[in-house]
Formats: sequence, structure tokens, C-alpha cells
Amino acid sequence: MEQNAIYELLAGALGDGALGYNEHALEPWADVAPAKVVEACRFLRDDPRLGFNQLMCLSALDWDGLDEAGKGKSTAILGYTDDGQPETSDRVGTGDLGVAYHLYSHALRHKFTLRLRVARDVAAVPTVSGVWTTAAWHEREAWDLMGITFTGHADLRRMLLDDAWVGHPLRKDYVMPDNWNGVPLQGQAYSANPFPVETGGPDQPAGDKPAEG
Amino acid sequence: MSTHATPPEGYDVSREHMLDFKVEEQLLQVVETDAKNFILTTVDEVFNWARLSSVWPVTFGLACCAIEMMATSATRYDIDRFGAGAFRATPRQADLMIVSGTVTAKMATRLKLIYDQMPEPKWVIAMGSCAIGGGPYFKYGYHVVKGVDFIVPVDVYVPGCPPRPEVLLDGLMRLQDKIRGRKGRFITPKWVTDYAKLIPYRK
Amino acid sequence: MANESTRVNAAGLFSGRGWHDQDHVPGIKSELLELNMGPQHPATHGVLRLLLQTDGEIVYKVTPVLGYLHRCAEKIAEGVNYKQWVVYTDRFDYLAPMCCNHAYVTAVEKLMGQEVPERAEHIRVAVSELSRIASHLIALATFGLDMGAWTPLLYCFREREEILNLLERISGGRMLYNYMIPGGVRYDVPNDNWVADVLDFVDLMEHNKLPEYNTLLTYNKIFIERTADVGIIDAATAVDYGCTGPVLRGSGVDFDCRRDDPYSVYHKFDWQVQVGRGEMGAVGDCWDRYIVRAREIEQSCRIIRQALQQLPEGSYQALALKAIVKVPAGAAYTRVESAKGELGHYIISDGGQTAFRNKVRSPSFCNLQVVEKVGVGQMVSDLVALVGSLDIVLGEIDR
Repeated sequence: MEQNAIYELLAGALGDGALGYNEHALEPWADVAPAKVVEACRFLRDDPRLGFNQLMCLSALDWDGLDEAGKGKSTAILGYTDDGQPETSDRVGTGDLGVAYHLYSHALRHKFTLRLRVARDVAAVPTVSGVWTTAAWHEREAWDLMGITFTGHADLRRMLLDDAWVGHPLRKDYVMPDNWNGVPLQGQAYSANPFPVETGGPDQPAGDKPAEG
Repeated sequence: MSTHATPPEGYDVSREHMLDFKVEEQLLQVVETDAKNFILTTVDEVFNWARLSSVWPVTFGLACCAIEMMATSATRYDIDRFGAGAFRATPRQADLMIVSGTVTAKMATRLKLIYDQMPEPKWVIAMGSCAIGGGPYFKYGYHVVKGVDFIVPVDVYVPGCPPRPEVLLDGLMRLQDKIRGRKGRFITPKWVTDYAKLIPYRK
Repeated sequence: MANESTRVNAAGLFSGRGWHDQDHVPGIKSELLELNMGPQHPATHGVLRLLLQTDGEIVYKVTPVLGYLHRCAEKIAEGVNYKQWVVYTDRFDYLAPMCCNHAYVTAVEKLMGQEVPERAEHIRVAVSELSRIASHLIALATFGLDMGAWTPLLYCFREREEILNLLERISGGRMLYNYMIPGGVRYDVPNDNWVADVLDFVDLMEHNKLPEYNTLLTYNKIFIERTADVGIIDAATAVDYGCTGPVLRGSGVDFDCRRDDPYSVYHKFDWQVQVGRGEMGAVGDCWDRYIVRAREIEQSCRIIRQALQQLPEGSYQALALKAIVKVPAGAAYTRVESAKGELGHYIISDGGQTAFRNKVRSPSFCNLQVVEKVGVGQMVSDLVALVGSLDIVLGEIDR
């Protein structure tokens, strides 16, 4: 089915929950209200004319630097310096967070993209893991890396990072950590030697000492 | 030997690789001539010879380099030729830890635990650029430890991304050279243990 | 189900009340045992960690713990330019790096609107399929290893070394290649008889080596006993959990991106999608997933043969090698069939030289989730079979 026709069906079912349709983009997508996303997904899956039985991908997005239409320039992200120390900045990220859902129908062989935006400080989206179970892990990952809360999720723990990790790394204003739980994460310049040279014990053979410099 | 058409008088080409090592040469003489039934050596040397001939690595694959480590132990390269083919699933039976891949913050605590569980004497090979210094993940790797020598002392660094099996074998031979040259008891030097104490290994 | 085994009965126990709640023997209360498996474990294919709750030998709950190889690739994508990030795609699925390269450059080219020369596409298909064979060989080898068969590993690595040699001759890298760039491939086919050597190899693979594996492992009675009727994933579960690739096809769903959502030049070739048919047990058991991979090797050989026999003349790069890739603002989601399943890239560009956001949908990540459901009620040793048959690679799961 054509993308326009899919959107018309969706808009008819959602009413004011469908916020808009961007048909001139390379891949058209529909904007939906965050509160209506479960309803939209359930409709897209269950309607026999649509039959989107596969959630291909669920992506968390940070729109810091880009406006509503996706125009603008993003600022460079922070990393580590050549000496391995974290770069710092006072900049606080602005702009919304977002989620994109890419759907596919095995039976009808068509695709569709849903997008939604939520405010950065109160980023909460209803979970769609009741519609497609595969969303459960995708949403955990989105919470872990982008800090979007999925309300109603049965098991919203961090997916990849440790539970004690501070911050959400994929946000544009994330500052790199210098250590985690005592494990050093900063680097060292290539000229520096990580081991002290002078304190070699009596058991350390002469050829085993680390080189200086 | 390609530059010499004929070897010099009395030079045995077949033993060329053994010339720096007396125990093997003497053992060979014992076997060949059947004349002498004892050899003279030092305890250090014979212990070192035994140790370097059966370095057992712990099965500890982390990332891409682990596949090259598997390839090194598999058909074509066959690390067993150098006595290091018995990969042990438990660190308590292993002498060598080949850190084959990227060490992340979450894995670093585990790696330290496994290293501490290995009995002395023990050695570490840092395999690949990630284990050596973070590699391609240095700049933006918020979860990557920039070199395994921040966590455990490293004996041999094997560069490459990933290193070819030949290079890993070469690194193993360098480690064997290192074992061969050691004197005294095998105790981890104090400067290493002091350094390692700085890092907690369990949350 | 044809022959109902004790394992299936055990699974049925968990449909209602918990097994651990019941007193099996009067006066003796059984308790759940917490068991940690991994991250350093020979049967978890890398640094996967499984937290198990078992009742005796039967698994009551599986909780995968991920992230021991989280290498921040999506963050790095926002810091390095489009061409540099090809290097990192290699390191996702390090068993089939060419497929990952292919997925990424396809996505960038779609955003750029870049045409790719026909010759480059043929080379891409050929090397991707070679990579897929190498990956499936590892899958067969390690699956055999998990089931206690050491010998297939030696056989499979022997053939894999041949593939690595061929790929090294065309790309310069032994295992990770960085071979494809937006607009083509980095180097042309070498003129040292490469094409003929690849054709020789696929002939050998198809006619000599695959029958050897079948004799050695596929129809081995012990192997069938360990894998048939174990870890059954039915079609509805597979789709619901987002399984793709051989896992989805092993469950009997006839779907393959290369045929049904065509990209590159796959539509030009004659080959067949393999699905599991439940020959040894139920549809979707471990043996089905295994045999789908084994038969895909054969199909890959067919594709390679056609791609190289029809290799057109012409350029292999649409853009100069040193050209800076500029991508117009926009967003696109592209997926290709990697060795493990659908590898998707969702790239958002702001018009600059680096991606604004690059989300990677990795097949192993989605495939692994299914153990939370299917692993329940299995014996612990069957869980090893299940995880082995999913053929996960941790570089792709954790990224």
C-alpha cells in the first residue's frame, strides 16, 4: 500500500493524535502524539489492510541543535582529548528527544515510519512492548543510552551499561567519564608510561623493567 | 641461511633454533649419543624450560581478536606446536591470559577477577590495539578502558587490528623468550601488585 | 508433535503454577538455584552473561545481561565522518564484516542518492556472500563445539582460511576489511586470477566440502539427538520477538531481505530461500536453524558463481577514493540481509560530514531476546544448544 494511503487510514483512526505527515522527505514519516502511540501501533498491527507484524527498529533520537523540520547544524559532541582526558563544556543540551518506529508487514510487504517528539526534561513515552515484544529490549536500550522513560514497561533497567552508570551517553551534551567504579576510563598520552619505573622489587629481573620515557 | 651456499664447518643447521638454549641441546645429545645419561643444568633453567613449553592459556575471548585467537589454535596455524594449545575454561588451570579484544568498563572488573584467580606464575598478552591502548575507541569510547595495562600488568603487546595469527605466535615466542630468561622465584613484583591494588575488582 | 520428549513435558509444567511452588515429594521443598553463566564461558560465544534460575537441571528463568562489549559505536558515528565509520561497521559482526560494510554503504548511498556502478555491486555481492559463508562456517563449527564435537571446528576453519585468503587478496585485510566505500569499492578485482580462484573455491565448497560436513555433523545421530526437538521457536514467536535471518527462516517463515526487499543486484540471480521444514523434529528447533545455515552456504555459492560469471566491465568507483562524502539533510532506514539476519541502519543527516544520528538495528540483539521465552523449561545443557543455534555475535549485540 502507498505511504499516503497508510497515513490516511492511520489519521482516520487516531483523530487528533496524528500530528502530521511529511510526504516530501526521502522516506515519508508520520508524526504522532506520544500519548496516542500505543493506540496507533495497535491499529497498524491489527488492521487487516495494514498488518504491520514486525517492528524492524526502534530508535531513540536527540534533536539537540536541529529544529522541528530537521534543519540546522548540530554541535560537535564531546570526547576525550589526545591526552585521554575528558573534554568539558558548560553547554546544556536543548531541543526535544524523540523516538522513531520502523514497521514492516510480512504479508503485505510494505513499510511505514512513525515518529514522535517529547520534551527533554520530561521524556516519557508509553511502551509498545505490549504490541511487539521485540520493543522491550529496544526500549531498554533507548532508556539506557538516551534517557527516555517508557511508562508501563515491565522491566525498564539499563540494557548495556551498568545499573550504577551516571548519565545517558547518546545525548549530545554528554560529558565522557574519567572513571567508573574505580576502573579508569581516561587514557594516557602515548609518551607516558603507566607503570612507575623506580619501585622494581628484588624479584624483578633486569630485562623485565619497563622502558623509561 | 639463504646468503650462505654451504654452512660453515661443524655448523648444524637443524639445531639453529636451539643454540641459545642449553637444556634442549643437552637433552638432544643424551638422546642421540646414548653416551651420557645425565645433564648439568640449573634448577632455574630446567623449570623455565618446563614452564615455557606448556603455557596454557585461559579461554578468554573478548571481541574480534578472539576469532583470530581461535584461528591461531585451529587448523592452519596450530598453536599447539608451541605448547600453548590447551585452552582452559577455568582460570585456575591456566598460566596465560590472552586479552583478545576491547576491554570495557563492565568487563574490566571481571577481567581483574579472572586474573586474580589464576595461580602464579602467570603472564598476560595484550592482543590487538584495543587491549594495548583503546585502539579505534580512544576518542569517543566512554565505556572502553584505554589499555588493559591499566587493569593488569602486561608482559607482551601484540599490535594489529586484529593481529594476524602469525603475529600472535610471534608474541607467544617472545613470551617464551621472556620466561627463559627469568631468574629466581616466580612472584609478581611488588610494584605490580601495588599498582594493581589501586583498582577494585568487584563492585 | 511427532515424538514428544521429556523436555517438552518439562516445559509444559510452567504453564500454570511455578514448578518450585509444588512439593514433589511430601515434606521436601525444592528451591530455585541462582546460576551465573558467563561472561567468561566457553559456550556463550563471547562475553554474553546469562543469569539463570534453575530448578535442579531445568531452567526456570533466563535473564541475559549484555554490555560487556559495549564499544560506543553509535556515539562514535556522531564524531567521525561517513567514510571513517566504515571501519567501525567491520567490528560489529566481525565474522561477516563485508555484510556490515554493505549495509552501511547502502544506507549512505540511499541518503546521497548515489548511483553505484554495476561492477561494484557485483563485487560487493560476491564478497558479501563469501563473508556469509565464512560466518556460517564459524556458526557450524562453534555449534558443533557446543554439542561436544571438536572435529568439525578443524574442518570449518580449514575452509574459512581459504575464504580469508581470497578476501585478503581483494581487500588487503585478513579479517576486517574496510573494503566498501560510498559509491563503490576500494579496490578492483585483482588481476592475479582471483575470479577463477573464487569459482574454483565455490565449486569445491559446494560439491566436496558440504557433503563432508553432512557426513561429519549434520546427520550424526548424537548431534540430532542433542538438537532435534530442542529450543523450538514457533513462527509467531519468532516474528513477535523480531527474529530475522536463519532464526526466522528456521521457524518456517519464508522471508529473506535479499529476495523480498531487494537491494543491490540480488534480483538478477537465481537462488532459493531456505526454510526449516522440521525434518528431524518440530519446525523451528535447533536442528532446523542449523540446517538452514548449512543450506545457505550452498545458495551463497550459487550467488557468487553467477555474480562473478556475469561480472560486467566498467568502473568500480563512482566517487574518487579521496573524495569527501557529503550527505544532504534527511533520514533513511535501510536494511540488508547480513549473515545473522536483518542489519538495519537508521541514519539522520544534518547536511554535514558526520551523521547526526546513526542507529544500528543489529540482528543478533533481536534474535537473542527470544531466549527469555524459549529458554524457560529447557535443561541447562539444552540452553547451550539454543544459544549456539541462534548464532549470536556479541560485537553486534552490544555495539
